[in-house]
Amino acid sequence: MHYSPALSFSQPTSLPTTNYAFHSHVDLRFCGLRRQPSGFSFSTHSASTRVSLSTPARGHSNKISASSGNNGTPKSFDYDLIIIGAGVGGHGAALHAVEKGLKTAIIEGDVVGGTCVNRGCVPSKALLAVSGRMRELQNEHHMKALGLQVSAAGYDRQAVADHANNLASKIRSNLTNSMKALGVDILTGFGTIVGPQKVKYGKVGFTDTTVTAKDIIIATGSVPFVPKGIEVDGKTVITSDHALKLEFVPDWVAIVGSGYIGLEFSDVYTALGSEVTFIEALDQLMPGFDPEIGKLAQRVLINPRKIDYHTGVFATKITPARDGKPVIIELTDAKTKEHKDTLEVDAALIATGRAPFTNGLGLENINVATQRGFVPVDGRMRVIDANGNLVPHLYCIGDANGKMMLAHAASAQGISVVEQVTGRDHVLNHPSVPAACFTHPEISMVGLTEPQAREKAEKEGFEVSIAKTSFKANTKALAENEGEGLAKLIYNPDNGEILGVHIFGLHAADLIHEASNAMALGTRIQDIKFAVHAHPTLSEVLDELFKSAKVKAPASTSSPVSEPVSA
Amino acid sequence: MDSPFLSNTTLSFSSSFSSSPLPHLFPSVSFSPVRFKSTQRRILTVRSKIREIFMPALSSTMTEGKIVSWVKSEGDVLSKGESVVVVESDKADMDVETFYDGILAAIVVGEGETAPVGAAIGILAETEDEIAEAKAKATSKPGASTPSAPAPTAASTPAHPKSTPANAAQTVAEGRRKTVVTPYAKKLAKQHKVDIESVVGTGPYGRITPEDIVAAAGISPSKTNEGPAVVVEARPAAPTKATVVSSAPPILPPPVPGSTTVPFTTMQAAVSKNMVESLSVPTFRVGYPVTTDALDALYEKVKPKGVTMTALLAKAAAMALVQHPVVNSSCKDGKSFTYNSNVNIAVAVAINGGLITPVLQDADKLDLYLLSQKWKELVEKARAKQLQPQEYNSGTFTLSNLGMFGVDKFDAILPPGQGGIMAVGASKPTVVADADGFFSVKKKMLVNVTADHRIIYGADLAAFLQTFSKIVENPESLTL
Repeated sequence: MHYSPALSFSQPTSLPTTNYAFHSHVDLRFCGLRRQPSGFSFSTHSASTRVSLSTPARGHSNKISASSGNNGTPKSFDYDLIIIGAGVGGHGAALHAVEKGLKTAIIEGDVVGGTCVNRGCVPSKALLAVSGRMRELQNEHHMKALGLQVSAAGYDRQAVADHANNLASKIRSNLTNSMKALGVDILTGFGTIVGPQKVKYGKVGFTDTTVTAKDIIIATGSVPFVPKGIEVDGKTVITSDHALKLEFVPDWVAIVGSGYIGLEFSDVYTALGSEVTFIEALDQLMPGFDPEIGKLAQRVLINPRKIDYHTGVFATKITPARDGKPVIIELTDAKTKEHKDTLEVDAALIATGRAPFTNGLGLENINVATQRGFVPVDGRMRVIDANGNLVPHLYCIGDANGKMMLAHAASAQGISVVEQVTGRDHVLNHPSVPAACFTHPEISMVGLTEPQAREKAEKEGFEVSIAKTSFKANTKALAENEGEGLAKLIYNPDNGEILGVHIFGLHAADLIHEASNAMALGTRIQDIKFAVHAHPTLSEVLDELFKSAKVKAPASTSSPVSEPVSA
Repeated sequence: MDSPFLSNTTLSFSSSFSSSPLPHLFPSVSFSPVRFKSTQRRILTVRSKIREIFMPALSSTMTEGKIVSWVKSEGDVLSKGESVVVVESDKADMDVETFYDGILAAIVVGEGETAPVGAAIGILAETEDEIAEAKAKATSKPGASTPSAPAPTAASTPAHPKSTPANAAQTVAEGRRKTVVTPYAKKLAKQHKVDIESVVGTGPYGRITPEDIVAAAGISPSKTNEGPAVVVEARPAAPTKATVVSSAPPILPPPVPGSTTVPFTTMQAAVSKNMVESLSVPTFRVGYPVTTDALDALYEKVKPKGVTMTALLAKAAAMALVQHPVVNSSCKDGKSFTYNSNVNIAVAVAINGGLITPVLQDADKLDLYLLSQKWKELVEKARAKQLQPQEYNSGTFTLSNLGMFGVDKFDAILPPGQGGIMAVGASKPTVVADADGFFSVKKKMLVNVTADHRIIYGADLAAFLQTFSKIVENPESLTL
């Protein structure tokens, strides 16, 4: 549930020559650490070129070699680029396309902004802002420790719901305006691919319009996934779509799934006075998080709150409340498949993940078969057809391809595609894309978890070291009385490569970017540890983290921060 | 692994263990997830080479620990300083090492299981020959896994409420299929060692709620962890805590057969408490007839603009209070007058089996239209149970009107923390004779003020009522 602040793109520079920053970014990528297909045309860029970062090359010398997208006869198209779906991914792609001088259209059948803005990251952040403050105000001990006296905190449910809704509308209109201002055509209706480089769109009951484009990006996103056996009535058995409207605050809510969405809602509901029961199919809560972070998060976010949980069980049948009966949940053991328990609660929130929204896209017209609904793509987001061949001029980004179901990842994939279609090869460095969960305190991560890193190290024969720092040692955190937290660095001690960073603590979601940027730029620990952090700030948690790492490789001779600066 | 630190600590351990039970090993534990290397052992039989590995006390608050994982398996040869097992305490996961060479003969407490501090979790044999003996020792241990826990807080107890009513005597069956316990109720039950099977649920669908556990444990609601669930639960003017005060007399007559007992809701409990509290205040009452023809005429005029009778009366009372600040004061400690800087008129409203007093703040300053608007909002919020505390407990004077039922006069009980409450009856056409002996029919309304005689005396109240009556009889000033 993330929203990449797309507004920052809204004032594109008109001079293409100022894009050098982006080019150098791409150069850096090749010094990077992952093993995704990288453009071999740049193979001369060995890892040692990382040093060139300090003096970004302003030239475009690398650009020419990548221009290969031009396939013969220039044909006349209605648009250079059509994007199907105006979520955060489509929006990011559209803005970048305009910046690159492409004539761009975006097709949207629902509302601009997609899941993130209307039914996801954005409204949930509004609810979490409320829950964070409620939690603080209710924590008498915490308040007393700061010397504050607060009488009983209360809330007005409707006003909280309005706050979330208003935020969504505001961001939605920002997004719409930013695209309109740049001259992106917003075409209303459901888009369907009718053939190569050809899309029709239209509202139900109206005649369709067909448009052509040199390149097409599918960015249709996803919808909440509801396992079978669960009857969603939108009132007592709900998905995140309904929960974000906060139409009622149940006394007791069962949350099926303990990933990001479930965790964030547990934070909201418990702060508003509900009791929560988690139902998790895996043996552990919060699967997907680094185990150590997950365990600490459980100690802070689950155990002391009004939350209990059932792990290793499926909710095989959920019946909404009706006829004077509560919501009834049948639990089945995940391993033995035997009936285990029956729960009676006031509401159930289904947070079992999201399913791609690719029905009706007309993929059959171009011989593309979805896999569990996802559009198959290669590392460059190029769509792969049923025979395993690339479909020319067709790309798929975001939740619809399932590579990394995060709003900002979709946007980054979109930008990457635009780079490719404008003649510069580009592959998004997925392991450097951060993720965050906005509980109180927050959880954030980038790269590999410890078990993943150890597995990889074993396969590839390198060492893995772990460094950790605590928020308890951070002045700013202590001043806020929020010393609960941990930052963890997983790295290669021989060369100082950052393999993963995981943070649990105050403002973790904002802190992760120092690490994710370092990973994206290929910065090594022995160099970044010389970068200076303002004191006292939470960012010193990461400063400490990098400094506590024991790297054998020496720092680069020309350190990026060694230039003297006169104040 | 063999750091000098560890070998140093070894010595202190072995000396202290025989005497004192499990000292606080790590007073300096600074944050949880650091893995501390520690070792714990105790020599039970001095001559024996079979040693037990104990659950260590990893923090001062630790009473039991969970085995996260056994680093070694049964039969593994251990050497001094090696990590054997990872233990999770209430604060952290820590590696536990051995200080003896030997063979891990038996694992007594398996992964994922919990054992109290000091319980044997594994058996260490010195030689292979002793393994069989060690194993025998392990199986003979009654304390395999959780049952050895001395405290009845074994993790499994409340986790799976069984439907078999062990304490059938106390478990009121009523055809309930199973015990349903809310998550927080479970936690509280564990914390206060309440046997869930013995608790009768009073929540929706007969479920056991945190309140039920609190009642069963006989404790007042704890405010330690997350704070009380502050869903806005409207309750009447209760500036102090809303805990239920039992006012039951010591000897109760036996209940009439067939009667039902319905516990108070939070709001009803607060009303009960306030009413009992009012008995400690010496009150007296003064009545006054007020002619309302002019007020009624004004009401007809302003009614289309949304003005309500409540707003009119509140405004009139507020204006009179401004002139008689003592009636707007309160006696907090029995020693002094507390003069309130604002005139906040609380108005009693019956609502869904409860009673609430939404407050029209600064009723003297707001104009009639704003006041009416405000009142409408307050009533809506009260119905939706969304009143904020200051919206029902900041009153300085209360108005209670039963006139709409045709009540001609009644007595109100003074709410705690206020100086006076005005009981308003119905306005009825009455034959009156004036000073000259002329008869006429005028609408008269009886108001009756109950006041705290520690601060408000008869003359004060009478003067206030006279002012009030003048304002109502010449109501033009109300619209200014």
